[in-house]
Parts: sequence; structure tokens; C-alpha cells
Amino acid sequence: MNFLRGVMGGQSAGPQHTEAETIQKLCDRVASSTLLDDRRNAVRALKSLSKKYRLEVGIQAMEHLIHVLQTDRSDSEIIGYALDTLYNIISNDEEEEVEENSTRQSEDLGSQFTEIFIKQQENVTLLLSLLEEFDFHVRWPAVKLLTSLLKQLGPQVQQIILVSPMGVSRLMDLLADSREVIRNDGVLLLQALTRSNGAIQKIVAFENAFERLLDIITEEGNSDGGIVVEDCLILLQNLLKNNNSNQNFFKEGSYIQRMKPWFHVGDENSGWSAQKVTNLHVMLQLVRVLVSPTNPPGATSSCQKAMFQCGLLQQLCTILMATGVPADILTETINTVSEVIRGYQVNQDYFASVNAPSNPPRPAIVVLLMSMVNERQPFVLRCAVLYCFQCFLYKNQKGQGEIVSTLLPSTIDATGNSVSAGQLLCGGLFSTDSLSNWCAAVALAHALQENATQKEQLLRVQLATSIGNPPVSLLQQCTNILSQGDKIDRRGSKIQTRVGLLMLLCTWLSNCPIAVTHFLHNSANVPFLTGQIAENLGEEEQLVQGLCALLLGISIYFNDNSLESYMKEKLKQLIEKRIGKENFIEKLGFISKHELYSRASQKPQPNFPSPEYMIFDHEFTKLVKELEGVITKAIYKSSEEDKKEEEVKKTLEQHDSIVTHYKNMIREQDLQLEELKQQISTLKCQNEQLQTAVTQQVSQIQQHKDQYNLLKVQLGKDNQHQGSYSDGAQVNGIQPEEVGRLREEIEELKSNQKLLQSQLAEKDSLIENLKSSQASPGTNEQSSATASRDSEQIAELKQELATLKSQLNSQSVEITKLQTEKQELLQKTETFAKSVPAPGESEAGMAAKTTDVEGRLSALLQETKELKNEIKALSEERTAIKEQLDASNSTIAILQNEKNKLEMDVTDSKKEQDDLLVLLADQDQKIFSLKNKLKELGHPVRLKCFQKRFMVYFKELYCSMEMLCLHIHITGMNTWVHEYGIVCTAFTVFGE
Amino acid sequence: MAYAYLFKYIIIGDTGVGKSCLLLQFTDKRFQPVHDLTIGVEFGARMITIDGKQIKLQIWDTKIKIRSFPCKISISTIQHVCFVLNMAGQESFRSITRSYYRGAAGALLVYDITRRDTFNHLTTWLEDARQHSNSNMVIMLIGNKSDLESRREVKKEEGEAFAREHGLIFMETSAKTASNVEEAFINTAKEIYEKIQEGVFDINNEANGIKIGPQHAATNATHAGNQGGQQAGGGCC
Repeated sequence: MNFLRGVMGGQSAGPQHTEAETIQKLCDRVASSTLLDDRRNAVRALKSLSKKYRLEVGIQAMEHLIHVLQTDRSDSEIIGYALDTLYNIISNDEEEEVEENSTRQSEDLGSQFTEIFIKQQENVTLLLSLLEEFDFHVRWPAVKLLTSLLKQLGPQVQQIILVSPMGVSRLMDLLADSREVIRNDGVLLLQALTRSNGAIQKIVAFENAFERLLDIITEEGNSDGGIVVEDCLILLQNLLKNNNSNQNFFKEGSYIQRMKPWFHVGDENSGWSAQKVTNLHVMLQLVRVLVSPTNPPGATSSCQKAMFQCGLLQQLCTILMATGVPADILTETINTVSEVIRGYQVNQDYFASVNAPSNPPRPAIVVLLMSMVNERQPFVLRCAVLYCFQCFLYKNQKGQGEIVSTLLPSTIDATGNSVSAGQLLCGGLFSTDSLSNWCAAVALAHALQENATQKEQLLRVQLATSIGNPPVSLLQQCTNILSQGDKIDRRGSKIQTRVGLLMLLCTWLSNCPIAVTHFLHNSANVPFLTGQIAENLGEEEQLVQGLCALLLGISIYFNDNSLESYMKEKLKQLIEKRIGKENFIEKLGFISKHELYSRASQKPQPNFPSPEYMIFDHEFTKLVKELEGVITKAIYKSSEEDKKEEEVKKTLEQHDSIVTHYKNMIREQDLQLEELKQQISTLKCQNEQLQTAVTQQVSQIQQHKDQYNLLKVQLGKDNQHQGSYSDGAQVNGIQPEEVGRLREEIEELKSNQKLLQSQLAEKDSLIENLKSSQASPGTNEQSSATASRDSEQIAELKQELATLKSQLNSQSVEITKLQTEKQELLQKTETFAKSVPAPGESEAGMAAKTTDVEGRLSALLQETKELKNEIKALSEERTAIKEQLDASNSTIAILQNEKNKLEMDVTDSKKEQDDLLVLLADQDQKIFSLKNKLKELGHPVRLKCFQKRFMVYFKELYCSMEMLCLHIHITGMNTWVHEYGIVCTAFTVFGE
Repeated sequence: MAYAYLFKYIIIGDTGVGKSCLLLQFTDKRFQPVHDLTIGVEFGARMITIDGKQIKLQIWDTKIKIRSFPCKISISTIQHVCFVLNMAGQESFRSITRSYYRGAAGALLVYDITRRDTFNHLTTWLEDARQHSNSNMVIMLIGNKSDLESRREVKKEEGEAFAREHGLIFMETSAKTASNVEEAFINTAKEIYEKIQEGVFDINNEANGIKIGPQHAATNATHAGNQGGQQAGGGCC
């Protein structure tokens, strides 16, 4: 070594020269000799010198050795020597025993030579190709050399191997080598290859590395296997650590199941060799790699699930409760169990159910907590138990509730035989061991983490401090210890206890106004805190001051102003007066500026090199991060701002409620919208149907219109002189046909009416004539003729009337029919018009159409109204005619009555006449007989007198008869009158 | 879970053609447009059934994972880095992929129908694959992003022609709509399965990317015969 130091120092000594010359000569021989044997011997000589004269051989021979590797591949011996020589130059492994100084220098040498070697990338590829040589003398040194290169300049060599085709695959084949030395060195090579290179890790895993390594571990006897198992485990760790892809593959390939047998340690007490402890340790770490809290949550939980399902967690728990397990392994097992259960409810529940095999059985949690608060247990073990407890409670409200409930009055076991978790924690909290204090405080804080219910529940806890004194609440006891902290003699640092308690109080009070009120209720607390903060203490106390400031800040920020004397505003004024805002904020800042703060904030595991470093808890650092800003803001804010903020909060709440209200409304409206959409779609369908109906109807209307127009033209021809239908031009009627028909009928009616009127007039004139003829003295014959004509006419009229009436009836029926038809049509159109505007909201086009249709309909309606009016007028006219007819009928009736009377009179007088005629005949006979008698007797004078008297009487009668005859219209009368006239003439003749 | 066979697949192709998305769609039945780099989607596994046999597919996305950066980098920087890597290191990227060929039973060669350059690179990819894989590796050509019809640059016929010319199975897929994704993976598996039935594959050489399931292995062991007679006996009982 003196020699080497001389070399490094640059001194030139005698022997050095000769060795350098020898090396030179050997190099020349390697380069120039044509004989393989000669070259081989020279390389062998170089190899023997390479350990001792590393620098010289390295500088002078490297180039030649590489050349040998390229050209003499056929001779495995020379290749082997060359590789060995290169390995000696590059590797630092052999220098383990040298002094520190030279080690550093030789490390420099190694990396420098590595750099020279890999400058030509082909050299590495050359090495890779040599690995394919099966010869042990080539393959083994090649493996060692490559390992060495990777150890020296990992990233560069990795990159070269990565891009050389099949590079990694070739290296993977080493694991399949039947020669254990090469396989084992292959594992070491892969270790160096996979170190922090994700791409290579992935390829190695792809090449079935997991399968092969797990096979090797099983073959070697799991944890009982030697260092090979450890090497394999470290390689597995390389492949899995921070490589999500490989972790996923490991899980998917069901390799987690294959880890379970590793932990079959059992009770056989077969002894714990150092190697076994190391192997188990790495095995446990490998489990932790898969469920590390830093992994993506989904990946961790799926591994946790698999570990429970295959019984790995159960296996680990048996180690936890087994006896004779070395503390190192036990600690790591606790840490592993912690991470396997962390945040995964099923595993947490299982862990809560695990019992220690003691008599009576105690829950594993209780047994573990007993170790935590036992100052005789190793520090790392106590930390591990704390971690386990934290992981058990992480995102486990059920577990938190169970732990807190063991402290509540109702559930505490009165007999006191069994110790509960809560009792252990309280014991730890108030023990004289500061480490126990800290651990118990942090553990209890984790039972309250993000769990408002448990924060309130814990307020109920009362402690009996000493006999005779009233019970004190747990919260109060904590603050009491805090304020008396200095007076009690404790083991360990006093700060630890106070920091622990302050962390517990901060966690307890945050987000829990009731706890804040409880805290402030003790009037001693605030003065204590302000006193602590305001005091100008040494650096040691700065952290406590910061935590006191945080606690005070929390009791301001989460204050619900329920205590008159400690309202937000008053506390702020207190800070302003006693401490000063700036000072307060500065003290608050001490927490996060503490050197141990950032350390704790990195990982959830409480991992401290020594008890003095045990200051911060990971979850607490999160709380500080969360609260520091808001408390600073709250302190700086003036009361007005505070009020404003509260108002804002209120309004925000209002807004929130409004927002929720609106959200609900929107939801409802959404539903409605959905419904309406459906409705619209159905309506659209309907609309389409209706539209088609409308178009059909429009076409019909068009047809009708055409017909109507045709009719109108015809009508126009008919009624040119009347011109009363001039408005008919605008008719867009629904039923022009009907209208036309109606019109026609009306026309007919009108003509009928006219006819009737004319007939009436005729009759009137006839009656007039009759009257006048009655008034003026006319001949019997004349009057009887007129009477007979009249009666004929009357009969005719009657008939006509009857026909008219029937016509009228039929027409009125028709009219009513038409009217009902029209009504129906109107209704139809109306319903259509109604149904159309409903969907019209959505479609303006439809609306326009419907309005159009409506317009047309209204026009039609108007028209029909007009027509109705016309009909009405016509019917009025008709009624008038009827009335006239009735009047004439009544006159006719009167006349008939008169006639009847007259007839009666006539028959009466006929009878009288007949009687008279009989009388006359009698008289005549009498007269004749009398005449005869008189002739016989000669008395004609007397008879003549009588005869004359009779004649006068007869004449009188006749006159009255004539008078009567004037009134008689019956035809029979004429003949009678005629006869009567004959009788009269006969009388006249007779009278003469 | 018990399976009859296990096939190893790799997905190859230019960056940005949607390899990871295809994998995620097949294994998780979901689509993630902006790639979440924290989730290990570079490997996925799924069980399928062919001919009544359970077959486990293990699929590797061959992209390089950039590890040398600190944890907190925005996605945009990563994309930028990827971009730079593509431009400068396309060759090295491809050579990393070469390491996967040997151990794969099937490869999905993916191009992007909206980017002609990814189609143009197929020849190089195929040469590489043929050169470094075992000759029996089943290669399926996949034109991905078929949902982006409006931006199409490579016609379906071109893909078909390329596949015909090189003896590949062809399919257009969309990782986004899941169209044909299932079929692509399953058809490849069918092809491999047929080759096994024909006896083309040496199923006892795991380097081919095929592994026989535990049950089948047991029957095989009894077939293997005399060595380890006790073991075989145990298998029988």
C-alpha cells in the first residue's frame, strides 16, 4: 500500500519503474505477439500484476485487453484472463481491507477506469455477447465485470444495456444457469442493473424474474436459506419499490400468495441465525413495499385485500403474538402489520379481533399498548406499536369509537381485572415517563382524528385523581399537567410531555367548538397560555410557545362565542394587549420552522433515530399546515372584519341554502323538463298527425271552396238582381257545399214565400171581392157562383198551405240538421284550434299555421253567422207569411161559420118552405075543393080574398128568402133558390 | 385463479397512438383521455375464455417510464419531455421495446388512423418485431382512434392491405368507445390458442410468452413420466 500511495503521490521510486517497464513489455507482447500462447501468458502475467499495480495496468493495458476480448474469442482461457484483469482494475471490491484514505482514492480509480471502458459503448455490448459464452471461465468473470461496471457508473451502463438488443434478456438467462455461482452472481448483477431504473425493472419482471426469484427462495428454504435468499429478496425489492407497474404485475400474477410461507416461523425455536433475521427483515420490508402509504391508494388497498384473503396478514399476526421472536423482527412485523391494515377496514377489523394467547386472552391491541407505555421496552418497538395503533385508527371511525368508549364511565370494567386500551392510554398520559406521555397523547389524538363525535365523547371522561378529591375531567387533567409540568420529576425530556399534551389538545379542540368552550371554561387556562407565549424564553421553549400560540389560536378560530368572558373578540384583545399580534404570529411560526417538523411531515411512520427526536406526529403536521394560515388571518382581522366575515358566512350559508334550494329546483325542473320533453315528443307526433289532418282538411276546404265558387257563380246568375250575396265572394267556408245548399233552399223558400204572398194577395183580393159582392146587391146566381169558386179556392189554398207546411217542416228539419252539422264542424275546428296552440309553444311555425287556420275558421264562422242571420230573416219572413196565412185561414173559418149558419137558416127555411108547399098544396086542394064547392055553391068572392091574403104572406116569405140567399154560398142553395124561384113563378102564375 | 394458459402480450407502436388507453380499456373497461401517470397502467391482466378454457392474458405496454424526475412535475412538462424524447430518442425507444419481443406470445402493433406518420413507421416496427421475436409470435395490426373519423388520415383499406401483405390480422379499434378493443385482444388470443393446438408453439418454454396453468402443468408432469415418480403420484392422488 505504501507503494500505491507513492504512485498516487506522483513520487518516482526505483521499483516502480521496473514494474512499469514490465507492464509495458507485457502489453507489447499482448499487442504484437502472433502466438496465442505468448499472448495468453502475457495476459495472465498482467492479471497477476493487476491487483497490486492497478493504476499502471489499467492505464497501459486496458486498450490491449479490450482488443483481446474482440479478437481472441475463440480461446476462452485468454478471454477469461483478460476479463479477470479488467475486473481487478475496475472493481473496488478487493480493497475492503485498505485504509479509508486509499479506499476513496481507489473508488475514484474504479469509476475513472469504468468511464474509460464504457466510453466505447461497443465494449459493453461486447461484454454482453461474451455472456452468451457458456464456458464458466468466460461467463463468470464477465458477470463479475459487468456487475462491477454497473456498481461504478450505474445509470450510464444501464442505458447502454437497455438499448442494446436483448441485453436485459441475456442477463435474465443467468438466473437459469445451473451453476449456482453464476446464478448467484447473476442475481447480484441484476441487483445492480435494476437499481432505480424503471424501464429495466419492467423488462426484468417481464422476463419472469418474479417467478424465478420466488422459485430460488423456495428452493433455498425461505428465510432459512442463506445469503442467496437475501440477494434474491433485495432484487425483488428493487423491482417492486416505487414501480407501480411491477407491483400490479406482482399482485396480478398471484405472487403475494407465495409470500405467505415465508412467515411460517412457528414455535419450534429452531434458533434465529443472523442470516435468518436479515432474511425475514427483508421479507417484511418487501411486504411493506407493496402496501406502502406512498403508493397510489387503489394499488395499496388491492394488495391489502389480497394479503388478507391469502392469509398473509393472519400469518404476520401470529408472529406478532409468538414468543421468542427477536425484537428486531417483532418491531418490523409490527410495522408491516401496521401498513397492511392501514386505512383498510376489513383488515383493521380483523386486527381488532386478534387476541394474544395469554390467560385470560387479551386483545392484541391491549398487549401492544402495554409495550408502548412500558419504558423498559426498546424505543423502536414502542414507536412501532404507536405506528400500528395509528394505522389501526386511520380512517377507522369504528375503531376510534371503540377505543374512546373504553374510557367512558359506562363501559369501564368495575372489577378492574382486565386492563382496557383507554386505561393504558390514560396511564401513559399521566405516567412519569415523558416518552409514554408523548406516545399516549399522540395515540389518543389519533383516536380523535377527523372524528367530531369522539371529540365530544372524550369530554365526558372523568378521572378520579386521589381519594377525597372530586373527579377531574380528562381535558382539565391535561391542562393541569401542562401548567404544573415543571414541578413533576420526570424521566426524559420535559418538553416531550408538554409537546405531546399540546398536540393532543390542539387536535381535540380543532373543529370542535364544544371542546373549546370546555377548555375556556377553566379560567386558569387562558392566562397560562398567554403567559407561556408572552414570556421570553430560551430556544428550547420556543416550540412549546409555538404550540401554546396554536392552541390559543384554535380556541379563537373555533370559538362559538358561547362564553361571555372568552368571546373571540375578547381573546383577540387579550393577545393584542399581553402578547402583541406580531409576536403571536412569530411564535406560531416556530412550529413549522422547527427542524423536526418537515421530517415528521414526510412519512406517516413515527421513525426517530433516538427518543430526543420524538417531537412531532405526522398527522399533527397536517393539522398545523391546515390551521396556521387561517389562524394568522383570524388574528389579524379586526372585529369589524370579523363581523363582516360572520355576516358573509351567514350570507354564504344563506347562499348555500339558496343554492341547495335552487339545486333542488333545478333538479325538479330537470325532471319537469324531461317530462315536458316527452310531452313535446308526443305532441309533436300528434301535431304531425293533426297537420296531415289539416292538410287533408285544407284540400277538402279547397274542394268545397271550388264547389262553393261554382255554386256562387250559379247563384250569382240566379240572383243578379238581388245582389244580396255580394259578400259571398270572400267566403272561405268550411262547408261551402252546405252553405250553397242552404242558400239554394233559402232561395227556394223565398220563392215559395213569394208565391204564397202572391197567393195571399190573390186571396185577399178575392175576399175583398166577395165582401164587395156581398155589399152590392147582386143576382143570386152570381153570388152562388162566386161562393162556389171561393170554396174551391179555399180548398186549393188549404192544400197549398198543407204542402207549404210540410215543406217548411222538412226545411226546418234540414236547417236544424245543417245547424247541428255546422255546430259539429265548428266544435271540431275549435277543438283542433285548441289542440294546436298547446304544442305551439315549442314551434312557432305550427303556431303560425294554426293562427292561419284559426283565421280561416273565424272567417268561416262569420260567414256561417251571416248565413244564419239570413236564415233567421227568412224564417222571420216565413213566420210573417204564416201569420198572414193564419189570419186568412181564420177569416175563412169565420166565413165558413157564417156559411154554416146560413145553410142552417136555408134548411130551416126550406123546411118551412116545404111545409108551406105542403100547406100550399093542401090549401090548393082545399082551395080547389072549396072552389069546386063554391062553384057548386057560388061563393067565389070569399076564396079570392083568402087567396090574396095568402099571396101577400107568400111574397113576404119570398123576400125574406131572397135576403137569406144573399148570404148563402153553398152550391145546393142555388138549386134550392132556383126551385124556390120556380115555385114563386108558379105562385105568380097561380096568383093571376 | 385457475387458468389453462397464460399468454404474454406486448403493445407496440409509436408514442401517442393510444397503447395505454387500449390496455386500460381492455383491463379496466374505462377510458382516460389525459393520462394519469401515477397509476400503473403499463401492465394489465385479464381472464378470458376461449373454447371453454380460461386463459389469462398479461399485457405489457412497452412505453418507457420516466423515473429520473422528481415527483412533482406537471403533466405538461412530462408531455414536453415525452415529445423531446420522441424526436431525439425514437430509435432508443424502439430498442428498449426490443427487449420485450422475445418473451411475448402476442403483439398488438398499433398505429393512429389520424396520423399518417404512425402508419408509415409500421414497416420499421414490424422488421424489429420479426427480427427479435420468436418466429411464432402472433402480431395483430391495430388502427386505433376509429372514433375520430373526421380526422382520419389512413384509410381502412390501407391498413387491410398492409396486414394482408405482411400476414397480420387487422382491426380498427377505438379505445375511447371501446369499439373492437375486446375483439382485438381476444382474436389474438384465439390465434395463439390455435397455434398451440396445432403444436406450433413449444408450450414448455416459458420464453415464448406462454405458460400452462397449474392444473395443466400437473397433468403434464404425469405425462413427463419417470423422473420424480413420487411427485407424479402425488399429482394423481
